[in-house]
Amino acid sequence: MRHPSEGFPADPIAAKQAIFDYCKKRGALAVGVADLAALERIAPPGHRPTDLMPRVKSVISLGVGGQTQGAWQLPAKAMAYSGSTEVRGYTVAYGCAFFIEQKFGAPSVYVPPDIDPESGPRVPLQSLKLHAEIAGIGARSFAGDILLHPQFGFMYYASVFTELELPPDQPMAENPCPAPSCVSMYRSIGRTPCMKFCPAQCLSGEIDDAGKQKSSRYDMAACAELTQEYEAVPKILAEAVRDENRSHGADRLLDPDSKMLWYKVSAGSGGWFAQCFECMRVCPIATQAPQADPILRTEEARSAAANKP
Amino acid sequence: MARGLSRAQLGITDEMIATFGETIFQMSNNLQVREGDPIRTLNWAEIERQREGMGLADAQISERIGLSREQVMFIRNHEESRRFRTGQQAYLLDLGGGRRFRPERVIPLAERFKFSESALRLRAALRFDPLLVREYIRHGWWRDDTLHGWISRHVKERPDAPALMQGDRVISYRGLADQVSRLAEGLRQAGVARGEVVTVQLPNTIEFAVAYLAICRLGAVLCTLHMPYRGAELEALLAHSRAVAAIGLADTKDWSPARTYLALKSRIPTLQVIVAVGTPVEGTLSLNALIEHSPPLDARYPAPLASDPFLLLYTSGTTSAPKGVPHPYHTMLSNAWVGAPEHRVTANDRILSAAPFTHLYGLYSLHVAWAVGAATVLLPAFTPGDLAVTIERDRPTGLWCGPPHAAAMRAQGLFDKHDLSSLTLAILSGSACPPELVRWLQAKTPQCAVTQLWGMTETQGALYSRPGDALDVAATSAGRASPGTEIRIADADDRALPSGEEGELQVRGCLVFPGFYDNEAANRTAFTANGWYRSGDLASMDDAGNVTITGRSKDIINRGGVKFNPREIEDLLDAHPVILQSAIIPMSDPVLGERACCFVMLRPGVAMITLAEIVAYLAAQNIAKIKLPERLVIVPEMPLTPTRKIIKGRLVIPA
Repeated sequence: MRHPSEGFPADPIAAKQAIFDYCKKRGALAVGVADLAALERIAPPGHRPTDLMPRVKSVISLGVGGQTQGAWQLPAKAMAYSGSTEVRGYTVAYGCAFFIEQKFGAPSVYVPPDIDPESGPRVPLQSLKLHAEIAGIGARSFAGDILLHPQFGFMYYASVFTELELPPDQPMAENPCPAPSCVSMYRSIGRTPCMKFCPAQCLSGEIDDAGKQKSSRYDMAACAELTQEYEAVPKILAEAVRDENRSHGADRLLDPDSKMLWYKVSAGSGGWFAQCFECMRVCPIATQAPQADPILRTEEARSAAANKP
Repeated sequence: MARGLSRAQLGITDEMIATFGETIFQMSNNLQVREGDPIRTLNWAEIERQREGMGLADAQISERIGLSREQVMFIRNHEESRRFRTGQQAYLLDLGGGRRFRPERVIPLAERFKFSESALRLRAALRFDPLLVREYIRHGWWRDDTLHGWISRHVKERPDAPALMQGDRVISYRGLADQVSRLAEGLRQAGVARGEVVTVQLPNTIEFAVAYLAICRLGAVLCTLHMPYRGAELEALLAHSRAVAAIGLADTKDWSPARTYLALKSRIPTLQVIVAVGTPVEGTLSLNALIEHSPPLDARYPAPLASDPFLLLYTSGTTSAPKGVPHPYHTMLSNAWVGAPEHRVTANDRILSAAPFTHLYGLYSLHVAWAVGAATVLLPAFTPGDLAVTIERDRPTGLWCGPPHAAAMRAQGLFDKHDLSSLTLAILSGSACPPELVRWLQAKTPQCAVTQLWGMTETQGALYSRPGDALDVAATSAGRASPGTEIRIADADDRALPSGEEGELQVRGCLVFPGFYDNEAANRTAFTANGWYRSGDLASMDDAGNVTITGRSKDIINRGGVKFNPREIEDLLDAHPVILQSAIIPMSDPVLGERACCFVMLRPGVAMITLAEIVAYLAAQNIAKIKLPERLVIVPEMPLTPTRKIIKGRLVIPA
C-alpha cells in the first residue's frame, strides 16, 4: 500500500466511478460520497468520522434493497424484518474497503454498524444514516427519521471511510417524504399513515402548505421500548447485573419475556425480529417507489437478456 | 455504566440521580424534534440551531451540566432502565405472527395488570402435589373449564334456554350473561380486580347467581357468608379473607347486613366496596343499579383461567384461626362436570336446591346445572311449604336438599298435598341421613331416584349413590366415590383398613382442595404424607365401595346442615362471671339432626344460671341464633384430662 505522502490517483472522478461500479455490481442500489466537512460539523464529538479514522478524506455511503414486496404485504411482523439483507450492505462495504486499498492503495475501513458500547444501545459509533443523507442517497422521513429514496424506497445503508480523496455528492434536493397521498391523508385527518399506524404512537409532525415537512417529532425511547427488541437485550442484562438482589436479577433474566428473547436471539428460531416496521409497511415510498420492487429493479437487465440474439 | 467503575467510585448518589435524572434523560437522544428539513440545503444556521432537538451525546451533556461523562452515562442508563423496563416484548408476541399492530391494543407497561399482595397470597395457597396433578390432567379431569367459559358456551348453544327461574322471573342464558357482564363492569369500576376476594351473603336468588358469575368473570374470588352470620362472625371472616368488597342485603327483618358491613369497614382495611341488594343504603352501591346502569364489560377483559382461585369458603370455624378453603376451578368444576352424568343430569333438567348457596352443597347444584346448561329453580329461603309449592309450580326435575328439609316436609304431610311428580332425582346431603327417611322418600316419589351425597367444603361431591342403585345402598350409605376421587378408610396411623372396618374416611383426588388458606397449623394435620385428606369423619366401606358414615371425630355441631364449631361460644361462656367452665356437645334431634347442648360448671358460691340467661348473654355478644345452646346441663365437675382439657366424650346428656 502506498504511503499517503506518495499521493493517490490523480483522477478522483474516475476513482469514484470505479468505486461506484464496484458497489453496484455487488448489489448496492445507490452509492454516494458524503461531504466530510459537513459530517464533522453535524456529528457530535466522539462520533465524527475523524474520531474513528483521523486521516479520513472521504466517506462513501451505499444502500442495498430492503424488503421484497411480498414481505411488506405480509401481516406477520416476523417477515417485516426479513433478516440479513442489511448484512449484504455491510458485505459490499467491506469488499469496497478492500477494493479501494487494492486498486488505489488508500487505507480504508468498513465502518462498523455497531453501537457505541459505552453509550447505550441507542447511540451508534457512527451514524450511517447521517453518512447516507449527506451523501445524497436518502432523506429523513416522518417515520422516525428513517431514510427514504425516491427511486428505491427503503434501503439498508453501509459506509466506508477512506483516505482516498473523492469529490463529495450533495444531499438530495427534494425529500420524497411526505408522498402526495400522505399529504392528502394529513390534510384529511391530521396524520400521515406512519403516524396513524405506529403502535407506540411515537411519531407526529406537521406538513406545510407546500406539502413539505414543517416539523417532525420522534419519541425514540417509546419506539425502542415497544418495538425494537435489540434494545431489550442489553437492558435486561444491565438490570440483572446492576441488581443488588441477585435472585431478583436472575428472575428478571429468566422471566417468560426474557426467555423468549433469548430463544429468538439464539440461532434456534432464525426469526428474531428487531423493529416492528409498521411505519414502513404503510409508507407508500418504502413499498411503492418505482424501483422498490426487486422484480422491477431487474426488469431492464432481464429485458436486455431476453433481447439478446 | 462505565466499565470497572463502581457507583461509589463514580461518586453517584441517589440524590444526584434524583437531581439530574430527568434533565439528562430529556437532553439525551430519547426525543428527537426537527423543524423543516434543513439538511436539504445544508442550512448550517438552522442545523446548528436544531442540533439539541436531535439529542446530545453524553460528552455534550457532560459539558453542559457539569458532571463527568461517566456520571452522565451512569445516570442516563439508570433513568432509561427505570423508565423502560422493557418487557413489552409480550406485546410483540401477542400481536405478532399473523396480526397487525393496533395502537389501541397496546397497554403501556405501567398500566399492565398487577395482582395485589393479598391476591398473590391467596394464589400462593393453591399448592398441589405435582405428581397427582399430572394424573388429573392425563385422565382429563382437570381441563380448562371455568364458569365464564361454561356460560359463554351455553349462550352460544342455547341462548334462549332458561338459566334461572325465581317465581315469575325467568332469565335465559343470554340474559344471564348480559346481567353478569354489566355487574362485572360495575364491580370493576368500583375497584374489584382479578384475584381479589368478594364476599356474598345473599339468599338463593337471581342476584346471588349473577353476583357469583360476575365475580368469576372478573377473575375475582367468591367468599360466601352464611345468612345467619352477624357482626362477630362477619368481622372475623372479612378480615381473614382480606375481602375488598361485600355484597349483601340492604335489610332483613331484624338487621341490616349492608349497614353492618359499613360499620366494619373502618376496622377492616382491605374492605373498600359495599354492595347492597334491596332498598338504597347510603354509602353503598346498589347491585341492581350496577346491573342496570353499567355498560357491558369489555369483551377483551382477560377471562379467568381454570387454575385461578375462584372460591374461598369457610368451614364451620369462626375462631381465632378460621379455616378458609380455597378452590381453583380445576377442583370444583372437574368434580361438577364428571358428576353431572353420574347424577344423570342433562341440559333438559331443572335443578332446585333447598340448601343455601352459601354452602358448597348449594353451590354444587349450580355447578352441575351450569356444567350441562340446565335451568336452576330458585328458592330464596327454605320453608317446607315454600319448597313444596315451588316444586309443584316450577316442576324441577332435580332436588338438592338436606335430610332436615325432607324430614320437615314429611312432618307437615306435604308430599301428600302437592304434586311433586316432576322430580326424577333427589340428592340428600349435609347431615347424617336416617335410612328410613330415604326409604320413605323413595316410597313417596317412586318416579324419582333418591340418592345420598357426602362431601365437604374441602371436597364438594366426593361420594354419592347413583340413580339405579339398590334402595338399600341409597338408604344406608353415602354411595361410592365420584369419578376422579380416591377414598379409603384408615386407622389412627393412616394405614388403610379392609372392607367393613370402621375408621377415618380419607379422600384424595382431582376435587380435593389444596390446603387451608393462611392456616399452616391446620394444614399440618389435615393431610397425610401422601396427600390423603383426613376428613375427620368415621366411616366403613363395603366391598362395592359404598361408604357408610358412622360418626364424627370432630366436635363440629351440625344443626340442620349448618355446621359450627362451639369453641367460640365456650370461650364466651368461660368469660361469664358465674361460669367456671363450659363445654358444648351435640344432642341428637329428629328434625335438625343435632342441636347444641351446653354443660356448665358454676363458680363456687353461685347457685344457679338459666338457659334464658345464657342465651341473652350470648345474643348480646352478636352470636348467630343457630349457634345458641338449646339445652343447659349444670354439672358439679367437668371430666378432665391430666392436662385439664374437658373430655367431651364423657359428658352425658340426661334423658
